[in-house]
Amino acid sequence: MQILQINNVVRAYRRGVPVLDGTSFAVEKGEVVGLLGRNGAGKTTLLRILMGMIKPQSGAVRVFGMDPQLQPVEIKRRTGFVAEDQVYPPLCRASELLLFHRSLYAGWDNAMEDELVSRFGLRRDARISEMSKGEARQVALICAVCHKPELLILDEPAGGLDPAARREFLETSIQLLNRAGTTILFSSHHMADVERIASRVVLLDKGKVCIDSDLDQLRETLCIAVVPLGDTVTVAALEAVLGCVRARNNGHSVHGVFHGDPDEVAARIAGALRVDPPPCQNVPLEELFIEIVGR
Amino acid sequence: MDLFINPAGELPIYRQIMRQITSAIAGNHLRPGDKLTSHRDLAERLVIAPLTVKKAYDELERQGLLETLRGKGTFISAKAVVKRSAERERLKEAARTLLHQAYLSGLDLDDALSAVEQAAREIARTKDKD
Repeated sequence: MQILQINNVVRAYRRGVPVLDGTSFAVEKGEVVGLLGRNGAGKTTLLRILMGMIKPQSGAVRVFGMDPQLQPVEIKRRTGFVAEDQVYPPLCRASELLLFHRSLYAGWDNAMEDELVSRFGLRRDARISEMSKGEARQVALICAVCHKPELLILDEPAGGLDPAARREFLETSIQLLNRAGTTILFSSHHMADVERIASRVVLLDKGKVCIDSDLDQLRETLCIAVVPLGDTVTVAALEAVLGCVRARNNGHSVHGVFHGDPDEVAARIAGALRVDPPPCQNVPLEELFIEIVGR
Repeated sequence: MDLFINPAGELPIYRQIMRQITSAIAGNHLRPGDKLTSHRDLAERLVIAPLTVKKAYDELERQGLLETLRGKGTFISAKAVVKRSAERERLKEAARTLLHQAYLSGLDLDDALSAVEQAAREIARTKDKD
């Protein structure tokens, strides 16, 4: 069952400068999808459209098959959301925020709330203004998950958290996955976190989906070739080799992202450009990200 | 058995898990009939997605190394045999890395071999103490 459908979404904040320029993908029930892209790639815009906070100028989104503009309450009842810049009233206490959320949702899980408050070591009587950035995000997370949503949408959930707080956050997410099989769409710049919890990654570039793949498959079917610059070796020449996703000049060499087994790709490049087989290897997501959307 | 995963490693996480379990079977640290941690518990312990652990277990089951008994858990299969050839292949990879390191620092094959022998003696000594 498709929980999220995003069809050809276009959204510009300034006329003629689209942030999203025909973005399409869908998320199945139970998937954990990492939404990646450079700053300004449109991740936050897309998540805000899904939450019905802004409208696309063309195209459509469906959440649980519903239009966020027409049925926002039905969608929000079944969804948890943490914004990148979640703003709560500074004088509000944690206890008051939790009470407010508890009263909004019929299925609020008090035991889960208690467990998370103590795991994060939060003080219920602390005001938002007295909390660190990390603590405020933990409160936001508790508010987003204790109604046991079927779908979690998280915009940079680890933004501004220290490594220990990020790990606690990941642990919480994994327990949610274990208990309820929650569907999660989250944006992140922390590739190691993405490797830990995502089963699939969607990479946005220039307003479009540039990669949409099972994470393990991506790691195992893409490799990076490093070819020393030479008479026959240029960015254009490497990009013309079969299976090249992208090539870029790195000073002394051209780096190419290729589909295929590393040994076989090396042989292919050697044959096409008449050079020695270059070193080719599978690399972690972080390196792939840089090679694909880096300058 | 303690597993260790590195999200920034060259292999995807499910492959890292498969490899470590396979090595542990080859090295007799895991024996036929031994019970494995459930995929959910292992996921929580390693802080990785439950599906990733399940994928590793499923793949190992497909290879005949594990078997799942409904309601009882996942066990090392009675017929679990690890192909020595695959283990040797991996050892060759590690040897290549060792030699690269030796050559980069101006050492030769003999230096690398004597380093291996010395390491073997050290490991033997620690084993004697155990």
